[in-house]
Amino acid sequence: MYHLGLLSEYLKNYMKTRLTYRADFWVEVLSDLLFQVTNLIFIFVIFMHTNSLVGWSQSEVVFVYGFFMVPWGVFACFVNMWNFSERYIVKGEMDRILTRPAHNLFQIFLENVDPPSLIGSFIGLFIMAVSGFNMGLPFEWWTIPALIVLTISASAIYMGIYTTLTALSFYSDAPTGIIPLMYNIQSYGRYPVTMYNRAIQVLLTWILPFAFVGVYPAGLFLQREEMTRMALLTPVMGAIFVSIGLFVWNRGVRKYKGAGS
Amino acid sequence: MAAIDVQDLRKTFKVQKNRGGLKGAFVDLFKREYSEVTAVKDISFQIPEGEICGYIGENGAGKSTTIKMLTGILVPTSGRLTVGGYVPYEEREKFVRNIGVVFGQRSQLWWDIGVIESFELLRKVYRVGEADYKKRLDELVERLELQELLNRPVRKLSLGQRMRCELVAALLHNPSIVFLDEPTIGLDIVVKSEIRSFLKDMNREHGTTILLTTHDLQDIEALCSRVIMLDDGRIIYDGGLDELKQRWGTGREVAFQFGTATKLDRLEHLTAGMPVKWTAENNLAATVWIPLELNVSDVLGRVVGQADITDIKIIETNTDDIVRSIYQSGSANVAEEAVPAPSREGAGHV
Repeated sequence: MYHLGLLSEYLKNYMKTRLTYRADFWVEVLSDLLFQVTNLIFIFVIFMHTNSLVGWSQSEVVFVYGFFMVPWGVFACFVNMWNFSERYIVKGEMDRILTRPAHNLFQIFLENVDPPSLIGSFIGLFIMAVSGFNMGLPFEWWTIPALIVLTISASAIYMGIYTTLTALSFYSDAPTGIIPLMYNIQSYGRYPVTMYNRAIQVLLTWILPFAFVGVYPAGLFLQREEMTRMALLTPVMGAIFVSIGLFVWNRGVRKYKGAGS
Repeated sequence: MAAIDVQDLRKTFKVQKNRGGLKGAFVDLFKREYSEVTAVKDISFQIPEGEICGYIGENGAGKSTTIKMLTGILVPTSGRLTVGGYVPYEEREKFVRNIGVVFGQRSQLWWDIGVIESFELLRKVYRVGEADYKKRLDELVERLELQELLNRPVRKLSLGQRMRCELVAALLHNPSIVFLDEPTIGLDIVVKSEIRSFLKDMNREHGTTILLTTHDLQDIEALCSRVIMLDDGRIIYDGGLDELKQRWGTGREVAFQFGTATKLDRLEHLTAGMPVKWTAENNLAATVWIPLELNVSDVLGRVVGQADITDIKIIETNTDDIVRSIYQSGSANVAEEAVPAPSREGAGHV
């Protein structure tokens, strides 16, 4: 309750500051959308040359892309740590965070909430609905609950991975370039994993489980028998990766050196 | 019970050594060398509840590192510490509810929103009840005269206005221990004295324990009953300010203005046998330096009546000068003198 209350307070303040810079807000939304549209066009271009991608039709791949956007938007809204190293470590703002009575990671999430990212999630839902309707996918009683659970689990996987990586800045003096790399790898998760070679499949499933934020859970709705088991494993992976993330983070905070005087 | 209890506290940082030049940078890429820097070297002290204690030292002496360990920001390398009954870095979230922290060089407030909104947010973060919050806020706002500032965004405040708001932000939850890291840095004299009297009142009314670091010794003189002086990570002095002045103050000076030309050797003749030192600026003005063990009145008694004096000024030793001379002197010698307990000091005078 305490945490939800804080979340709503921070969101209110976000709105207050953001609405004073309206142009900024719309530019951000627009650039986000352009980025997503480029990705979609890429999928359409591929399917101009072939009818199926390792047994997946265009509608199915688009549906997976739609699902992929949903947890990504949620994650980007609530867990935004791109400038963590510069802002909190180099400038030493972590000092302030650590002298307040709420968990430090939670405070950092709160201070960086980015609601415009949620627009991406809604577009993702829309894409899923349209392509699902085109394919005549059944709408069951469990569709909505499963979507919610899988979205939360997939966001948790993102959070675990990025929290772990961000925590590395507590150990190394210079910010590492590993996050942009991760950013590239995660986009592999929105295509059918079976099209990659064995090593990359293992990597995307167990080590950097980005297949769990896209194709596996989407497979559940697409009634892909071979993915159902993996889809049901998503919450487990989410729990494991969040735990790893929190563990590494809490260890990292103990190494925090502070900045300046 | 002591509000702050520190035993053999040590903090070591691992610092990466950078080799010079482009070639050095390449070598660094493969083989890094680290050196260990000990910022705080096994210090111990206790601060009882309700005390205002000044924590001074040169830049890089380890003041901020100590404060950061006491507030739970840094984890000590070794040693024990308890603050307000908690080990700061272990139960951080519970612990910080009882302390207030002001870093003079860093803002606690949200830059873009109004001051009052920042306070409102902090109320939620610290879980202060509505009624308590209102009472406390009214009290603080009135005391620090913030009424007109409350609706302005923080970025539009002057430094002095901001610092007063920072104080309110750090005190809204009525902490029993307050840490101030250079709270008066960069402020004008009016704001400085306002903040000093505010802190003093708070200490008296609420019994708040205050630990502050500063480079402005007037802060210390105005507020602190006790000073801890740090040099190179070690405590070189821990005691009252008067005692500090007595121990390090070498003497007092008396400046004379004469109505008629008075030669230096005549003055020296008058105080013959006394360990004093005369310096003359010109024929009409001279200054005498009197060591502490000699009474000023004894010297004056010899001079007054014998010379045509128009003005006398007694110059007390300035704390700034004392501290400067301590900072500059070989700290090892000073440390030896400073550490022993008062009882041994008495013996030393015999």
